[in-house]
Order: sequence, then C-alpha cells, then structure tokens
Amino acid sequence: MSSSSINKKMKKPSKSISYPSLPYDLVLSCLARIPRSYYLSLTLVSKNFQSLLASPELYKTRSLLGRTESCLYVCLRLDTHSNPCWFTLYLKQHKKKNSTGNLLVPIPSPKFSSPQWSSIVAVDSTIYEIGGLIDETRSSRVSILDCRYHTWHEAPSMQAARHSPAANFLDGKIYVAGGGEEENSLNWMEVFDPKIQTWESLPSSGAEICTSKVYQSTKVDEKIYMYGLNGMAYDPKEGTCEAVEWMPWFASFCCVIDNLAYWYKDGEFIWCDTKVNVWRSLKGLEGLPKFVSYSCVKLADYGGNMMVLWDRYAPGSKYKEKVIWCAEIELKRCNNEEVLGKVKWFDAVLTVPKSYEFVRVLVATV
Amino acid sequence: MSSNMIMLKSSDGASFEIEEAAARKSKIIANMIEVECVDEDKAIPLQNVTGNILALVIEYCNKHIVDDDDDVATEEASEEEEEAKKKKVDDWEAEFMNSMSLETMFELLLAANYLNIKSLIDLVCQTIANNIKDKTPEEVRKIFSIENDFTPEEEEEIRKENAWAFG
Repeated sequence: MSSSSINKKMKKPSKSISYPSLPYDLVLSCLARIPRSYYLSLTLVSKNFQSLLASPELYKTRSLLGRTESCLYVCLRLDTHSNPCWFTLYLKQHKKKNSTGNLLVPIPSPKFSSPQWSSIVAVDSTIYEIGGLIDETRSSRVSILDCRYHTWHEAPSMQAARHSPAANFLDGKIYVAGGGEEENSLNWMEVFDPKIQTWESLPSSGAEICTSKVYQSTKVDEKIYMYGLNGMAYDPKEGTCEAVEWMPWFASFCCVIDNLAYWYKDGEFIWCDTKVNVWRSLKGLEGLPKFVSYSCVKLADYGGNMMVLWDRYAPGSKYKEKVIWCAEIELKRCNNEEVLGKVKWFDAVLTVPKSYEFVRVLVATV
Repeated sequence: MSSNMIMLKSSDGASFEIEEAAARKSKIIANMIEVECVDEDKAIPLQNVTGNILALVIEYCNKHIVDDDDDVATEEASEEEEEAKKKKVDDWEAEFMNSMSLETMFELLLAANYLNIKSLIDLVCQTIANNIKDKTPEEVRKIFSIENDFTPEEEEEIRKENAWAFG
C-alpha cells in the first residue's frame, strides 16, 4: 500500500521524452524477440508486465516469429532413496568477470510420485515422461512438464503398461515401443499425437525382431532405430520394419545431431556419419578442459550445437561433493572427413552430493 | 514518369512524392491503389502519421523497392552474391535505426503498423527489443509509461525466489 500513491500521477516534466503507448500486439511482438533469460528481470516492471511475460500469447508470438530457444533440462537423483529432481540451464545475460554465471536451476518436481525407469521425450515446449515402474509394477502413465511455466500435468495413459520403452518424437508424433508385459505384436508399439492427445496402437513386426525389451533407440534420418534382441529400423511414413545390424550409434551414450553421431570415448570426442559408420575424432575444441577419467560425460543436441555435461570432485569438499560442468560446442562440418568443434562457453553449473546419479539430459524448445 | 508517382500527405500537412512501387510496400496504400481510390492529382491523406515520421517511412520504402525488384533475378545469383546483398541491406537497416531515438522508434512502429508494412514492423520491433532487454525495470517502466504496482515486499520476494538470476 505504502508505495501505491507515489507514482500514481507521474506528471511528465515538460522537457522529458514521452513515449507513445503501443498497442498490446506490438508490445508482445517486441517482447517475443527478447531472449527468455532476460524475462526475470523484466518481470519486475509491473504486475501487468509480469503476466504479459508469462502469457500463452507471448509464447505463441515467439513461435510464430520463429523466436523459440533451445532449453536444456537435466534430471538427477541426488540421493539413492529420493525422487529424481529436475533442473534447467539458466543462461545469465549480465556476465561477471571470470564466470559465465550460467547455472543449473532446480524446477518444481511433479506432485505425484515419479516412476522409475520411465522414458523421456521432448516435444516442442513440453517434456513427456512415459511409463516406467511404479511400486515395482509396469505403468502406462504419461505426465507432461510444460517448460514454459515449469508445471506438471497428466496426459492420457498409454494403451499398454511399459517398463523403459523406446520413446522417440518424429514428425509431430511420439512413437513408443517395447517394455510391455507380453511379446505381443498387437501392442508392441503405439503412437501418440500431441495435437489431439490420443494413443493409437501400431501393428508391426518389431516384437519378433526386438522382442519385448528395447535396450537402445535413436532416430536418424526420419527413421527410428531400436535394439532389443536384434536391431531394427522403423519407418513411420511407410509403417515398415526392417532388421538391421547393431551400430554403436544406437546407444544412448551417443548423441545424434544432424544425422551425425557424437560419442565421448576414452578421453576424446569422436563422431561418425551414420550412413558411413566410420568414427573420426572431433577436431578443434580449443579451451575445453580435459575431463578426469572418472567423469560421467553426457551429450545433448542443443539446437544443432552440442551440449556437454561432465562432473568431477568439488575442490575442498574432501570427496563429498561433485561439481557438474557444462560446455556448449558449436559444430561445423568442414568436409566428409572433418567436423570442427568450437567451444562457445563452459562453466561449473551445479554442485551435488558425490553419490548423485545422472538420470538424463534433454533439450526442449521454448 | 508522373503516372508512377503518387502523393502522400502527413497529418501535419506535409506532402511527399513517392514512387508507386515504393508506396506499395504499405498494404494499406497498395489496397487503395487496387480499388482505384487514388486520384492522380490528389495526395493520399495519412491522418495518423506526422511528416517527420512519414519521411522515415518513405526513406525505408525507397531503399527496399530495389531489393524487391531484384528478387526476379535472384535465382541466377550465386550464394555469395545473395549474402553480400543481404549484408548490404542489414548494414543499411542498422545505420537507419541507429540514427533514431527510442521515442522515434515507437512513432515509426505505430506508423508502420498503421500503414501495414510488415518488414518495417519486424525491423523496429527487433530494434526496440535489443534496446530494452538490458534496461533496468525502472527504465522499462519509463519507456512504456508503466507504473510500478509491486509493493517493496512483493519485489523483494521475487528477487529472493530467483536470487541466482539477480545475484
């Protein structure tokens, strides 16, 4: 109350600049062009501005103008018995000396209990958590994290309960396969259309090729590659399955960016063209510190750049804590035989207990 | 030549002669020309745009008709030429916007909106965005004539909750 009357009638001094007031849609159009990491400071302008910056219309405008940004999400289990925690990478705009100020910031966890061994997939500005085990039982539950507001809600359940199924987002739909109770070709695979929020089963011969458990899956070149007992490639457009040999880039530790697979192996970054399957070392990377041998290294496709996360013991913590580091690497393919990595930034982004477990990393577009 | 020129009249009575092709960058004026409500001898009155702002709009449109004409030939242009041309336009636009105050930008944005010139709306919105993103909340309030309706306690709460961003 105390301050409400102070500025009520701010009479313009005659010589000061007066700005014409802009209509709502033009204000939106200006704000939508500002990177999202500036929004928190702008929130303090007024309550109206605060709700404008959080409005669905603003996010719609950002998407219409092609101003969406990649947003990194990390899920960690900080101690063995607790639910996993979610973090998002905050890119600080006003940098300090000697530090980017970039941080992994915690976001609210879902109100409901988190399943174990669920599968996670990013769909535009949302993250879907699919299936998993709840109280040791397979679950068909699907929950959604809305990355605009960091709120969780439930989506329609799958037709089958699944334990760590293969989940991939391709061509506007989520394809989920395997992890069910029986090796039944009728419900081995199902597809979700986020626009109409419905599941539909997809008959396929996947159950015969992979059997019920799919250990690794990835999407490359409009196809989903899955590996269970044997490997297969699913073409969603044709609805066909084709048996394929195991390729290292099927594995979840590989990160596929623009159809090139990247892998941190034995102290170096290597890459391969998925069509050629010859591994070469990633050149450049000037300034990137050497990782220690015990580092847990994770990679993610950050809108065409590669985000690298790694850890090491926190100095001075007497081996009780670890620090998670993050680097953004710009990738440039020079020719068939060379890809150059340029380190855009790297920094320590979070301190965690040493026994933490890295659950996963993925990138949404907000 | 004169058949390709049209006259525009600002709200404060200033008249401007402009090539029809340039004027057509405005959807509103293009529509007027389509339905033939443009009298060759009379100027089109633009009641919401003052002379100094209209001069800027015309400067922008004149600069951009050339680019549109070139579009026909671009299929043969090499990627490098394309890039060089784009850079030239970008440089010109940067220079153009650089020379004006934030206040003028707002006026120009309103005029571009009224005349419906999409590329100019985009350019001005982007420049305003670049200008205000680094401003303090107080400065932004002044720019948008907004009153701070947060109590000091509420403001403190937001700062505390997001200390990592404000620290």
